[in-house]
Amino acid sequence: MEPSASAHNAGDAASPDAAPDVHHKIGQLTRQLHDALQELGLAEKLQGTAGELPDAKSRLSYIARLTGEAAEKVLNRVDQAKTQHDHIGAQTRHMIALLVADPVAAVAKGHIMNFLTDLEKANSEVDQHLTEIMMAQDFHDLTGQVIARVVNLATVIEDQLVELLIQTAPPELQSRVSPPASAAAPLSVDDVVLSGPVVDASQSTDVVTSQSQVDDLLASLGF
Amino acid sequence: MANPRFLVVDDFSTMRRIVRNLLKESGFADADEAEDGVVALQKLRASNFDFVVSDINMPNMNGFQLLAEIKKDEKLKHIPVLMVTAEARKEDIVLAAQQGAAGYIVKPFTKATLEDKVIHILKKAGLA
Repeated sequence: MEPSASAHNAGDAASPDAAPDVHHKIGQLTRQLHDALQELGLAEKLQGTAGELPDAKSRLSYIARLTGEAAEKVLNRVDQAKTQHDHIGAQTRHMIALLVADPVAAVAKGHIMNFLTDLEKANSEVDQHLTEIMMAQDFHDLTGQVIARVVNLATVIEDQLVELLIQTAPPELQSRVSPPASAAAPLSVDDVVLSGPVVDASQSTDVVTSQSQVDDLLASLGF
Repeated sequence: MANPRFLVVDDFSTMRRIVRNLLKESGFADADEAEDGVVALQKLRASNFDFVVSDINMPNMNGFQLLAEIKKDEKLKHIPVLMVTAEARKEDIVLAAQQGAAGYIVKPFTKATLEDKVIHILKKAGLA
């Protein structure tokens, strides 16, 4: 199709009479693209990649869920620790007042001992909150592995589209571009043997979903 | 052994810090770290360690390869290796056990799980 003809036809598309012609041309283009993909052997390859996209979507959902849960966990623990911190602050001020008023009575009536016991308990609980806040940061590792897989998939798609673009370019342009280094042997998500975090355990039966299942499996093997 | 020395191997610095902090809270403060199997092997061969806590999915040399290298090295094969990983496939767990891993923990895990496994393995190895 010549550029001038294309522009002319695009102008015709505005009128109702031109609609069947535009439809016919879209059909022709679709057929040409389909045939070209078949001839190039790329249709199946792209189809395979497209099949990976739902998995990529579930992986991204997994990242959103994990980061959301981590944020929620940290905020909850901070809230609890701050409440305990405020309580200890109030208790401390009360104890100072008792000691200033009557130090002997504060000791004799057990106020000091009760306060120290409370303090020790609160200290232990705050330490647990801090440990849980630290543990919540493990999302960085888990989501990082999943992100790496999604990036890998994006690279595969990009390589295949570049390859398609080069192979469908006019001959005079083809001589001016060389295929990308990775186009000769496109990356495949299958290249990675390890599967990383399980983003949806309900979709597979060959994975464990808890540490007790790991222990049971190892015990069944005699380990 | 009163104070076993740990090597924590993981490509994510966050996870290395978490594991080291948890070990410290459990009373095991003597720990070094490595970002992959290659660095881990170098450190294991250059210094003395009593326990390895290793991820599996790492660049350069993964946890399975590290485990295999440790188990075929006469000077290192006695060191218990605890796998701590996001790999939850049963075949990976079985493979780790067959290759000589002392234990297997799936991420995410709790402080209690890590502590229990480490103490159990240390006792089994006569190190505690």
